[in-house]
Amino acid sequence: MAFLEIDGLKKRFGNVEILKGINVELEKGGFLVLVGPSGCGKSTLLNTIAGLEQITEGEIRVDGRAINDLHPSKRDIAMVFQSYALYPNMTVAGNIAFGMEMRGVPAAERQAAIDKVAKILQIGHLLNRKPSQLSGGQRQRVAMGRALVRDPKLFLFDEPLSNLDAKLRVDMRIEIKRLHATTGTTIVYVTHDQIEAMTLATKIAVMRDGEVQQFGTPAEIYNNPTNIFVADFMGSPAMNLIPAKIDANGSGLSVVLDREARQPIVLPMSGAPSGLAAFKDKPVIFGVRPEALTDPEGAERNASNIATADCHIEVVEPAGSDTFAVTNLGGKGVVARLRADANIQPGTSTPLAFNLSKAVFFDPATEKRIL
Amino acid sequence: MSAVASPAGQAASGARARTLNRIVIYGLLALFAIFYLMPLFVMLVTSFKTMDEIQNGNMLSLPHAPTFAPWIKAWSEVCSGLTCVGMKGYFWNSIKMVLPAVLISTLLGALNGYVLTKWRFRGHTLVFAMMLFACFIPFQSVLLPMATILGSLGRFGVTLQNATGFNFGLGNSTVNLVFVHVVYGLGFTTLFFRNYYEAFPTELVKAAQVDGASFFQIFRRIMLPNSLPIIVVTVIYQFTNIWNDFLFASAYAGSGDVMPMTVALNNVVNTSTGVVEYNVNMAAAMIAALPTLIVYVVAGRYFVRGLMAGAVKG
Repeated sequence: MAFLEIDGLKKRFGNVEILKGINVELEKGGFLVLVGPSGCGKSTLLNTIAGLEQITEGEIRVDGRAINDLHPSKRDIAMVFQSYALYPNMTVAGNIAFGMEMRGVPAAERQAAIDKVAKILQIGHLLNRKPSQLSGGQRQRVAMGRALVRDPKLFLFDEPLSNLDAKLRVDMRIEIKRLHATTGTTIVYVTHDQIEAMTLATKIAVMRDGEVQQFGTPAEIYNNPTNIFVADFMGSPAMNLIPAKIDANGSGLSVVLDREARQPIVLPMSGAPSGLAAFKDKPVIFGVRPEALTDPEGAERNASNIATADCHIEVVEPAGSDTFAVTNLGGKGVVARLRADANIQPGTSTPLAFNLSKAVFFDPATEKRIL
Repeated sequence: MSAVASPAGQAASGARARTLNRIVIYGLLALFAIFYLMPLFVMLVTSFKTMDEIQNGNMLSLPHAPTFAPWIKAWSEVCSGLTCVGMKGYFWNSIKMVLPAVLISTLLGALNGYVLTKWRFRGHTLVFAMMLFACFIPFQSVLLPMATILGSLGRFGVTLQNATGFNFGLGNSTVNLVFVHVVYGLGFTTLFFRNYYEAFPTELVKAAQVDGASFFQIFRRIMLPNSLPIIVVTVIYQFTNIWNDFLFASAYAGSGDVMPMTVALNNVVNTSTGVVEYNVNMAAAMIAALPTLIVYVVAGRYFVRGLMAGAVKG
């Protein structure tokens, strides 16, 4: 039995269904990331776990105990808010101890707990300051300290890094990951940043319009997206989703990618599963991640199925660690990820290697995965 | 200015125009300031003059031999009607009425604002709209209904007195006035606090809920300590309004030794015993105006400080 179980959770505001039957579970010590675009219901879902929003249907269980009818303070959870929500009138120590104070923990015990947390988060020198005297990163730490000091069953993070600048965000991300590794706490984390989701999670739930689109490990989500939305949302640069056609030529199937004013590219799919055959002569969406579309020398050595085709390069973007090249296939800009020192010029034709063992196909009508 | 004027000439004339603007603006401001300060000045100098000097001298001239006698007389001897015990008793009447009325109306306004923004219930906009409506009801239209209500409360007080030996303040004029001012002020104080708390981060309330704080603990520990600017605004507003109120005071406590300051002042000025003692009247008026002035001077500073604290809160 999982530690956190969310069972058929529905949430309605009047006639509007915000959450349409969420089923998610998380093992003890796991790190669940709820990710999706704004308005997908991820923060609402987190608030229902916290008890700050009531649910309409379903059940939320922590450690086998249904908590959905309990007051937030009785759920044994702690929450880190997007704005940190530090009480401006109290010192850092007062902020951290407020929850214990409300629970009637004796002062000596409170002080010991504050000292312990301050040591973990290295905020000992800040304890007597007011939140207004802290930097963004320090406030973030204090907010985590306030959650950590309670030693709760479940930690909830609501977009905790979105108010920080880019560099600090990366630092704090690592810090959170380290904290999770050392304390072994169970965490539910909301973000709209797919990189945070990939790097932190042990489980990801990709959400859209109040529904979980896909629930799985980061690798599953990344490599085996169940539909076009997940494929497009996760990964940066995003997966190339190219309109294509399945063609049967003699021995096997092949993927045909149209090009403007040029011969279409035909990629043979040797050993393609039979599912694809049903789409013979029909339009499909051919999905290939930028790193699976690269210069032939940089292609993965032991990939089972690599096809090479000459592509007309329109734009080259050197990013330092990689070079991105944009070509046009099926009427869409397609990004290829090349080695940093790849010798490539815009306006020329260059052979690109398609790693077809990593390619995925979607039905354009249903947007679902074919294989 | 000619079309071929040199750039330097243009700059010089521009500077001249600006200087002229300044002179006009500051001149006008000074004029208005003098206009508004003139009565205060006349009151102040008159209150320190002897009657001889007032009758023979210039109204605007400074007192030749400043004397505190008019102030002392106004405070402890002046006649209001037939009783000649000075303003001091009425001054305390006003204090006894203003302090509870300001305190209660401010506290209730804060509580209303807290509920209307952070504990929203079905129909909260309607409730707020109706409270707002209270701000637009003219004083005069509630005089009679309020008198009826106060009369009933007084009778209930008598019943309580007979039953328990204590009337719980019902029927007492000061308590009546406090009640009237709290009810009438509630619309304004609720408006102030609701608008302030509307912009107050709700995440703080949620965090406190997760921390296990109760409804009133959140109010006392989180909301109130972070409301200093609006508390000061409300206190200044309420204090001035209630202290200066004449209509309710004269209607519900218009005679005897329960009169607030404003009514007593009116009676002092209207009492004619031969010569009109302008110096004493002016001193009495100054005494009546002093508390609101002090509130402005003292609380105004806290007001600015509160605003600054809010600005760096981030």
